[in-house]
Amino acid sequence: MNWTWFHRFASPPYVYRFARRWAPWFGGVAGVLMLIALYGGLVLAPADYQQKDAFRMMYVHAPSATLSLMVYSTMAVAAAVGLIWRMKVAHAAAAACAPIGAWFTVATLGTGMLWGKPMWGTYWEWDPRLTSELVLLFLYFGYMGLRAATEDLQKADKASALLAIVGAVNVPIIHYSVVWWNGLHQENSKKLGADADMAWSMVWPLLLMLLAFALYFGAVFLIRLRAELLRRERNASWVREVLT
Amino acid sequence: MNEFFAMGGYGKYLWPAFALGFGVVVLNLVLAWNSLRNAEQQARRRMEMKT
Repeated sequence: MNWTWFHRFASPPYVYRFARRWAPWFGGVAGVLMLIALYGGLVLAPADYQQKDAFRMMYVHAPSATLSLMVYSTMAVAAAVGLIWRMKVAHAAAAACAPIGAWFTVATLGTGMLWGKPMWGTYWEWDPRLTSELVLLFLYFGYMGLRAATEDLQKADKASALLAIVGAVNVPIIHYSVVWWNGLHQENSKKLGADADMAWSMVWPLLLMLLAFALYFGAVFLIRLRAELLRRERNASWVREVLT
Repeated sequence: MNEFFAMGGYGKYLWPAFALGFGVVVLNLVLAWNSLRNAEQQARRRMEMKT
């Protein structure tokens, strides 16, 4: 296997230019897809026979929840790469993930509460899925707090990377919490193929929204990565080149 | 139109949830832009100090 691409992504100026070039494309496509998915989910999809119009919560709640986990996984993998190969760019990538993921965890919890009230009769219950998602929020806070409190950048990178990797154990717990324990939260309802239990007119806006959120994360991540690289490499000569 | 916004009586939960979710989408973008602008300004100031 050819590893030159991997080495290229270890170079801050290369990654900076890559991010500057691609972020607008990710963001633009994500925005268009979001609007189409919103129209599909709020207007075209028929009301659910059990949840009526409340099921439309899915189109904002599920993509937020997926991102909250996807961003954490990305952060943990980047942190591990940074630790193992001592790659500055990977540590910068992990740091860029944290605030994005924390905000989507807030969105997940908030939209979930607003869905829980009409469906379960309560905004909050110490259900395994809800509790483990709240722990995820505290993991993000811990990661950011640790970085902010550690003056020495290399120490901050190492300590926060360890926290991110250890905390990754919570990701499968959140994902499988609805299978392992009996709580209020339902299991994933997105089954495709022959035994699909949702009509296609309900499914496609969800899949499109998931794709849009993933692309959107790509865009915001690349913007934050540029900022991280500039702060770390402020004395490097490439910074002068890209800013003039 | 009113029927659409009522969402079968679930509108009072549905619309705040969409406002929150897509509010976070917009906010994340704004915060990221601000962070990048700050980093660029700091780097520029540093460049001027050195020259």
